[in-house]
Amino acid sequence: MLSRIAEAFFWIGRYLERAEATARMLSEHHQLLVEDRSVPEGLGCAVLLDALSLPHVDVSDPHGLVHALVGGPDDPSTVAGAVAAARENARGVRDALSGDIFEALNASYLMLTTGEVIESSPGVALHEVMDRLLQVHGVVDWTMPRDEGYLFLRLGRSLERIDMTARLLAVRHDQLWPESGPVATLRSAGALSSFLRTRRPVTGDDVRAFLVLDSALPRSIRRSASDAEEAVRQLDRASNSDVSDLLREVGMLHSVLEFAVQPTSEQVEELAERAQASATRASNEVAHAFFRPAGAVVWSH
Amino acid sequence: MMAPGGEVRPTHRVLHDALRALGNSDLRERAHLRDAYLDRQGITFSLSGRERPLPLDLVPRILTAEEWDHIERGVAQRIRALEMFLADVYGECAVLTDGILPRALVTTSKHFHREAHGVVPPNGVRIHVAGIDLIRDEDGEFRVLEDNLRCPSGVSYVLENRRTLGHVLPEVFAGHRVRPVDEYPQRLLDALLMSSPEAAGREPTVVVLTPGVHNSAHYEHAFLARRMGVELVEGRDLYAKDNTVWMRTTSGPKPVDVIYRRIDDDYLDPIQFRFDSVLGIPGVLNVARAGRVTLANAVGNGVADDKAVYPYVPDLVSYYLGEPAILPNVETYDLQDPDQLVHVLDRLDRMVVKPVDGSGGYGLLIGNQASDAEIAAAEARIVADPRGWIAQPVVTFSTLPTVIDGEMVPRHVDLRPFAVNDGEEVFVLPGGLTRVALPEGSLVVNSSQGGGSKDTWVLEDDDPTVTARATERIPEVRRFNRVRTSLGARAQAPSPHDERMRQQEGQQQQGGPPGDRTC
Repeated sequence: MLSRIAEAFFWIGRYLERAEATARMLSEHHQLLVEDRSVPEGLGCAVLLDALSLPHVDVSDPHGLVHALVGGPDDPSTVAGAVAAARENARGVRDALSGDIFEALNASYLMLTTGEVIESSPGVALHEVMDRLLQVHGVVDWTMPRDEGYLFLRLGRSLERIDMTARLLAVRHDQLWPESGPVATLRSAGALSSFLRTRRPVTGDDVRAFLVLDSALPRSIRRSASDAEEAVRQLDRASNSDVSDLLREVGMLHSVLEFAVQPTSEQVEELAERAQASATRASNEVAHAFFRPAGAVVWSH
Repeated sequence: MMAPGGEVRPTHRVLHDALRALGNSDLRERAHLRDAYLDRQGITFSLSGRERPLPLDLVPRILTAEEWDHIERGVAQRIRALEMFLADVYGECAVLTDGILPRALVTTSKHFHREAHGVVPPNGVRIHVAGIDLIRDEDGEFRVLEDNLRCPSGVSYVLENRRTLGHVLPEVFAGHRVRPVDEYPQRLLDALLMSSPEAAGREPTVVVLTPGVHNSAHYEHAFLARRMGVELVEGRDLYAKDNTVWMRTTSGPKPVDVIYRRIDDDYLDPIQFRFDSVLGIPGVLNVARAGRVTLANAVGNGVADDKAVYPYVPDLVSYYLGEPAILPNVETYDLQDPDQLVHVLDRLDRMVVKPVDGSGGYGLLIGNQASDAEIAAAEARIVADPRGWIAQPVVTFSTLPTVIDGEMVPRHVDLRPFAVNDGEEVFVLPGGLTRVALPEGSLVVNSSQGGGSKDTWVLEDDDPTVTARATERIPEVRRFNRVRTSLGARAQAPSPHDERMRQQEGQQQQGGPPGDRTC
């Protein structure tokens, strides 16, 4: 497979995951800001922007927050920006994609860049955005051959998922909204029902431990690390590239999470931080191993 | 919302302005969004076999901290007294011996179950969940209209209404500090766990028992099970054997300790009650009698919310608690008393007549809105069975602004606060379900009669220290985040989309007329 195409698939995976996770976090955060007025609005907005690496954005109310985070096509840290970036990558490899995938992705892009739904009711509009993105996921799952390209997409998605779950935990809803915060954190990860079934108390610490270490939850960091490791192992079998550094990175991360013995709440937080750093390194290793291997000829000017 | 004279009450000023700013056309659009949202979420109840959403009005109801404090104390007091009453009538019957209410009234109650005599619940609680219906009379005083101590429903709509309104009309929340309602499922679960019999060496297993998907409140049953993280079961999933209730699972039978049942007594146990019930669990009452499973709410609670017992509840409060009732009743006539019967029959056109064991607004006669034929028929029914009916003067209860076809018009409302008793404390969920009679002039708010609902806000006490505390927490949080997110690497390395390359790619495609392209 062409490195360029592999790279595009990897980033489609990352951007799609980011767009959806951001939309979901934003939707729940908005609801929290609206319903629970004990936290000043500006600060309530700032904690989410900080966690999403947008500390420079200055907004003062929930409506402004929605505008800033739905954003525009130029900043890939926003929902529209991530979708635009995914679409840009998809355009470059359009021949390698099923028509359905491009269509679904394009529809999301058009909705986000030309629609005015956000004006009336952010909650409803964000729901529609998430719907669109879920549709893209569904079409990918349904039409994409399970070849190398798919593995790159899956790897990108898993690494982004680790990053986004870590960012979600960094919002620390429970500190600002001691009562409704932990539930909002769970909802943002689509994990409320699964968590309640464990019958653990809905406290910040237990929620964090669940999102980091649960073995069954699709968005838990542990599960995502396991997915990433699996994708790398399969890529290793399918290609001649040297993936040892990459495999070590994701394998170690997965093992640390899998074999953690009843970590304290501080240790859980350390694990989340470590996972986020590790996902960033792994993403760089992917580029090294597959997209721009060291020693390749590069002409500069 | 409005004070006499058409002025806006000070507590409603902010809400009023927010709604004014929206205007009628905007309100109409939000109403569409709301309908789509409710349909999509499947937040429905079944009416005559059809699923439909409970209509939610866009204008929330506001209760001040002071108003709420009064309601909360009144509801909790009433439930404490009714708990003692139930323990008494299914035990030593002191209240009957002391002549506080006629013995015949209790023994003729359709919901007085001798089968429940001597069943002592593990932590003494029989009314785990209650819904007390209140109205506000002409003088602004809250009065109890009826008690619901068997399977009160509607609490899921309280939680969903809040979420829905936040979704489709976030603007109205601005400037208000509303007490959250989301803690209800956890409170209920805690109360159910506390009511469990001793479960040796393991955590008690709680289940929600539903009649099935055809029940009008099935959505709520599923909602509560999901939000408590417990199984939603049907009668056929459970069986009683060896003085234990078991649940059939893929890993074999599993003992059940607490059944939050949303099935009527009559259908609960075919051995004790209706033998033709296919919804219940044969033998479950015997297990409960042996103290090996808790039924919530307890069997036989219906005697305490029998409408013929209702007129005596204020007396029960003072009898058991030695204090006057905080929330008064609505004036009610006992039709078994010949004098009161005559009085009522003379004035049927100004009376509301209700069946004593009814619910959902079925069988109700509202005198001033009934035809002569309906009144005559009601009279015949009452004379034939005075024990079966109670009468109340038509109470004009309060109205609130409600959006009908994009216009704000007054509609009658009631309020059903929900209470959970864990044996130590009666928790009253701040707010409750406000039901709205949607047809103009109508006094019937039941959802089964086409009623709607309102999100109900209890405002926080104006306590500036709350905000101050929240602000103190901030700097620490933000510092923490900064460190974490300095990690960067959020975007792709730029090389594939290098600006120059983009320009050159563009030029490639402009060369040559269409059709002549070789690449």
